[in-house]
Amino acid sequence: MGSNVRLSFDKKPELPKLIALAALITVFLVIPQFMRNTQLIMMSRIFILAVYGMSYDILRGYTGFINLGQAIFFGSGVYMGVIFLNMQNDLWFFMMAAGSIFVASVIGGYVMSKIVLRTGGVVAAAMVTLALGEIVRNIAERWRTVTGGQDGLPLRFSRVALEPLFTTRLGAYYFAFVFLIVMTFALRAFVLSPTGRVLQAIRENEQRARFLGYDTQKYKTIALIVSSVAAGFSGLVFAVIVRFANTDYLSITYTLNALLITLVGGTGTLYGSILGSAFVTWIQNFLLDLNRSLGWDILRYPMLFVGSLYILLVIFMPAGLLGGFFQLKNWWDRKRLSRATDNTPEA
Amino acid sequence: MQPLLKAENIVSYIGPYTILHDVSLEVTRGEAVVILGRNGAGKTTFLKTIMGLVHTRSGVLEFDGETLVDKETHVIQRKGIGYVPEDYGIFDLLTVEENMRIAMWKEDPETKERCDWVLDLFPDLKLAYKRFAKTLSGGQRQMLSVGRALVNNNRILLVDEPSKGLAPVIIETLAGALKEISKTTTVLLVEQNFAMACAVGQRFYIINEGKTVESGTMADLIQNKELQAVHLGI
Amino acid sequence: MGTIVTLVVNGLAQGALIFLMASGLSIILGMMGVINFAHGTLFLWGGYMYVWSYYAIRLRVVMAWFEAAVPVTRFGNILTIQGVQLPPGETLPFLAELAIFVAALVIAVGFVFVMGLVFEKLFINRVYGRVPAQILITLGIQVVFTDIVRVIWGPNPFPIDRPPFLNGVSTIGTARIVHYNVFLILVGLVIAVIIHRILTKSRIGMVIRAGLQSPDHVRAIGINIKRYFTIVFAAGAALAGLGGALYMPLVGNVVSTAGMSNQILAFIVVVVGGLGSFMGSFLGSIFLGLMGVGIAMTVPGLSVVANVLIMALVLMFRPNGLFGLAVSRAD
Repeated sequence: MGSNVRLSFDKKPELPKLIALAALITVFLVIPQFMRNTQLIMMSRIFILAVYGMSYDILRGYTGFINLGQAIFFGSGVYMGVIFLNMQNDLWFFMMAAGSIFVASVIGGYVMSKIVLRTGGVVAAAMVTLALGEIVRNIAERWRTVTGGQDGLPLRFSRVALEPLFTTRLGAYYFAFVFLIVMTFALRAFVLSPTGRVLQAIRENEQRARFLGYDTQKYKTIALIVSSVAAGFSGLVFAVIVRFANTDYLSITYTLNALLITLVGGTGTLYGSILGSAFVTWIQNFLLDLNRSLGWDILRYPMLFVGSLYILLVIFMPAGLLGGFFQLKNWWDRKRLSRATDNTPEA
Repeated sequence: MQPLLKAENIVSYIGPYTILHDVSLEVTRGEAVVILGRNGAGKTTFLKTIMGLVHTRSGVLEFDGETLVDKETHVIQRKGIGYVPEDYGIFDLLTVEENMRIAMWKEDPETKERCDWVLDLFPDLKLAYKRFAKTLSGGQRQMLSVGRALVNNNRILLVDEPSKGLAPVIIETLAGALKEISKTTTVLLVEQNFAMACAVGQRFYIINEGKTVESGTMADLIQNKELQAVHLGI
Repeated sequence: MGTIVTLVVNGLAQGALIFLMASGLSIILGMMGVINFAHGTLFLWGGYMYVWSYYAIRLRVVMAWFEAAVPVTRFGNILTIQGVQLPPGETLPFLAELAIFVAALVIAVGFVFVMGLVFEKLFINRVYGRVPAQILITLGIQVVFTDIVRVIWGPNPFPIDRPPFLNGVSTIGTARIVHYNVFLILVGLVIAVIIHRILTKSRIGMVIRAGLQSPDHVRAIGINIKRYFTIVFAAGAALAGLGGALYMPLVGNVVSTAGMSNQILAFIVVVVGGLGSFMGSFLGSIFLGLMGVGIAMTVPGLSVVANVLIMALVLMFRPNGLFGLAVSRAD
């Protein structure tokens, strides 16, 4: 199997890494001052979809379970955000939306785990989650009074979500950036927690974990719920950026987006999702721009290209870009190590 | 004279695990050779390595002068290597007849003749000929598995622990049948049952922890109580 | 009474259609251990290829037959679909209409069969034994090839006609029997019998049954099972293509989302009938078809969720399928 290269998390990051991280954060705090609106939007999307990708990685990368209904949670988050902010466009209602999506994701994740984790098989789970996702999308499409059906649901009151807070795109950018940082640390903490360690043990060898006395079902359920909540939150913040909800966000297209993000970044790497999100979002943006300037009909179907890229990745780079990089690095390290030992004079 | 089957310093692996470390043996045309050794020594894996079901990392593996390394399993079988796997490899959803027919390279009179010979060798199979294989007993499965490997004009027969889990009466029948078979076909037998090994084999090899450690004629082994105690726990 | 007969016929017709998809899916899953998330796209291609070739052939035949015929209505982007208006009072003879219909079916099924061959050789081949990669890759194929349909024929739904000789409705007592439904049931039965014959009587059937249990043992008796994998995959694809081709005239509306929705139905049948079992997918299809019609009649609001609910319940309480027919593989 391709992807057995994963980042190992050090519990205590060393000083140089911290400095590099601080520098990186500073850069991302400063550069938006020099960006145009379209660039700001793209960057905000990258940040949020990175969190969405991480939510998927928690599940696929850390438990091996393929959820083809992940978009249910993301899309629900988007809808929840638009619906609540349409009632009243302020921070209180945003917080209420956050609370609602939290509760909904926990319940949804729990119910989903009850249905799909019973059989244990990856195949059955994938089939069922795909069906669940399609059903939810279908219901949303018919429930016009709440979701606006196929026309979608725009943010009614104002051009900008949470107006008093963010009168410009710049505000939304910072909001998304802070969201990314907070969620990255939160999910990192989860992966490093005792629960996260058990999940990694389950991924490596479920039977052994069971023999060691862990209730693997319970841990997988926890992972599914954490993943759903993270996906729901990312959807919610996405609503602030795109100010529009439609059933696409609930559909297999968006599940595939998450899959692609983790595939590009490498499954089980967590941070890889940031890279994956940047790559995927940039490609999609690029195709849209190209369509605008060239007007080719074929460019109206970004999934055609994104999907092809995805197939190629599965075949040729199952460990993802970051995973591939680490594979290369491992190989290089081993080579250097063996050369070093070769050169050691015999005592 | 060139040996029919030749293995030299075979190293083979399943996934990340190396199972065979250094196995070498030769089987000449017309011989009956037995591989002995404790559980988990790598005897079954060696037969699977010959069949290409387990991958060879290094070493020489030749059948009648042609290499078997990196060949596909069905290609190896078609060179004339009959294989009776440890778990019989009987197809439950097929009848006994179909289990025989599916294995036939071609359905010509010659094959038909061999098939009849097999049915005479194992009258049990003749009685159950039209029944689905899932209704067969363990002994009948083993007979079917051996019989199925004989319907083709094989040049060697690899048999993996035919006595395993079977009643003594059935083992006796099988030993008789294998002895009969070894008159006309070269046989490479993996066996833990010493009586069966003695009845069929002319020469022996002992595999221990993935390596061939001893070899000789069966008569020598019967004499050498010390060797028996060390490697076979007798 | 009449309503019940009508419902049963409709339900069986639905079941026959689902069966065409589910049987291929189930055998591919059972024998090759491959779950094909691209099955819906093969269904869709069967449908579009049928519609396109049906109209293309019919247009040419009618134009050659009647001087006064006029082409009408255009759909599609790269390949256009053109209907034709017959002169008033004129019809094509039955045999001509039949030949057009059959020719279009053959083209559609043949095309999807080749697609199946190519998919297997190009993609599926690389991921045997790696379930996650199979799911990901077939899902990718599904998305890409569904979008290719949209590129070629446009994203919007368009209406189509049934062949005139299958377009009637008979009233027997109070029952309304749609001829096309009867036709579907017959096709479903014929296909079921053919598959059953192949499975039980032919050499390829023996290999499939043996392969359901253990592909490795099939190799060890000298059979190149990969060749059979290719054939089985392509045959399953062709069945899905036939399903798609027969589905479009039934609903009278060509939509590019039909692939995914029907694939989900087939998945549900495979789960309900037991993974890998031919009989299971046969019984499961009938069950789902009848149940779907029944629920649409009694509680229409539930029809969207009913199928998934059934699947969830079966998975929770009878993981071997409703009839306990799931095939367990040795390796």
